[in-house]
Amino acid sequence: MRDIFFDLSVRSVRLNFMRSLLASIGIVIGVVAISSMGMLGANMQLSVKQQLSSDVNTIMISSDVVRTTSTAGTPSTSQGVTKSQLNDIRNAAGTNVVIPIHRTNTQFTIGSTDGRGSIYGLEPNDIEKFLTIETGEIPRGANDAVVGSNIATNFNLVVGSRIKIGPPNTENRPTVRVSGILPARGFASDGINTDNAIIVPDTWYTNQYGDKDVYNQVNVIVKNVDTIGDVESVIDEKVNRKTDVIRISDASSRLTSITQTLGTITTFILAIGGISLVVAAVSIFNVMMMSVNERVQEIGILLSIGTEKGEVRRMFLYEAFILGIIGAVVGGICSLVIGYSVVSAMIGNTAYFFLPDSIMYVPYGMVIGILVCVVSGLYPAWKASNMDPIDALRSE
Amino acid sequence: MDSLKTEEEVEGPEMGKFPLIRLLDVSKVYHLESGDFTALNHVSLDIMENEFVAIMGPSGSGKSTMMNQLGILDIPTTGELQIDGRNVVKMTPLERTHMRRDMIGYVFQKFYLIPLLSAYENVEYPLILKYKHRDTSGKAAAILKSVGFDEEMSSHRPNQLSGGQQQRVAIARALVNDPKIILCDEPTGNLDRKTGLQIMDLLVDLHQKGKTVILVTHDPKIAEYAHRTILLDDGRVVAS
Repeated sequence: MRDIFFDLSVRSVRLNFMRSLLASIGIVIGVVAISSMGMLGANMQLSVKQQLSSDVNTIMISSDVVRTTSTAGTPSTSQGVTKSQLNDIRNAAGTNVVIPIHRTNTQFTIGSTDGRGSIYGLEPNDIEKFLTIETGEIPRGANDAVVGSNIATNFNLVVGSRIKIGPPNTENRPTVRVSGILPARGFASDGINTDNAIIVPDTWYTNQYGDKDVYNQVNVIVKNVDTIGDVESVIDEKVNRKTDVIRISDASSRLTSITQTLGTITTFILAIGGISLVVAAVSIFNVMMMSVNERVQEIGILLSIGTEKGEVRRMFLYEAFILGIIGAVVGGICSLVIGYSVVSAMIGNTAYFFLPDSIMYVPYGMVIGILVCVVSGLYPAWKASNMDPIDALRSE
Repeated sequence: MDSLKTEEEVEGPEMGKFPLIRLLDVSKVYHLESGDFTALNHVSLDIMENEFVAIMGPSGSGKSTMMNQLGILDIPTTGELQIDGRNVVKMTPLERTHMRRDMIGYVFQKFYLIPLLSAYENVEYPLILKYKHRDTSGKAAAILKSVGFDEEMSSHRPNQLSGGQQQRVAIARALVNDPKIILCDEPTGNLDRKTGLQIMDLLVDLHQKGKTVILVTHDPKIAEYAHRTILLDDGRVVAS
């Protein structure tokens, strides 16, 4: 048997159905905003985590920007990781894989179409240690190159296609032959973003750009990810003996940093969603105050025939709760539909949508919606329960 | 009764017997912007169990204030109000609420039924307040039947009932917790003569069954049903 105060609240909501419905719409919007934004943020984080976690065993080493202080007192900047530093890194890395990387940006021409992208110089045998060739093979000849998926798609490249490297209208530009095509890699946490890149043998690269014994980056792929911290420490002790000359980072710290940033963004957009709930709270408060003011005489009757103040409070809190339940349930259903659409449109991938980390924002938003309603009803309920029954009975 | 009276001097018909209601030098002062207004002025009064009392007086004489005190809707500014031997002034608000629920049945001029509840639910409501669950004993239905309501009429909301029917429901509601005191504030004021007399017959019947009935009225013919009339004027008891 239901509580009579709950019955009274249900009947009051029914009696003022349109007003209650409109107030609940505010909660619906608030719940949808919070849930959808939360799911969007969660899906962003999950998607990025998934992308980055594949390279979590990679240590990235680059030259520190300010390496030393000259005798004149002005800082001198490094050009990259030197050959001797690379040797130290190799010694410190032990049996782990060390990959020295040359990199610059370049213009190129394919047929009559010009383009721009990155060019990496790598020892051909290193390529397969961290990249997968989708079509073709690693460079076998001195002029062979592997291209990223975006360049291959945009320029309709196939194995055997030719690419002229260098600015257009330059005479005697070197040409490379496409020997392999890479799959899409997205944003890679090892710093090697190949989708818009051409990867050439290191000998070809140093012939064209010089800097034979200076590398833009050195990656160390550790065999056991649990030892990554130890390997970093050994490299740091070996190379940064006197002063910091190289900067050492790994994907896990980048992953942490990126997920923290995304977490902050998620919190921010949740807060924006929360603003709509504040508006909804004002609307619920207004409806509850109207309900109290319209039922003053009824409250007077209840109090005069022996209803406890707490029971009157409960009746109005039930009413706020019912409005919250209506708004939360409708909002929860709408959140699933709208959240799915938003995630699909903005991330382009709904693979993570139904995972607990994402879907939990629906009940989370619903509970917040209900809480907002109940909190909004606290003052009206308190006001109702503290009415003087004599004054309340006199009111018309 | 200007001066403070002792317990032996209070007004009442059966001195020596313990009164159900006792007012000892009760004053009620309202603090208004225009100044203090004394609605009850040093009233001392006893009402015994199973009395039928009418309270009369001109407008502004303090009848409603007196009813509010007797119904524990309000407490005196000074003085002592005892109901069933307990000093109401010293009780907590919750204790007063429970006493109002258990000991007093209120019948109002405007019926004051709960508009969202059916006639049956209005009568059942005080039982729910007291026992914290819906009525399974059939008491609410039986009381409604005793005031002439059948099952079909019991399901009607107050706005679907006539004035006389509403007042019957109000009386049934007042009786359902078996209170010792029935307070009636102009119970026939909103009814036609014939219906008013039917309601008065119901009240007489209740008195005969042992209830203490106290009614406020302007109508001397209604007051004739009572065995004692307390006449108020300017906040004082001028006749009892």
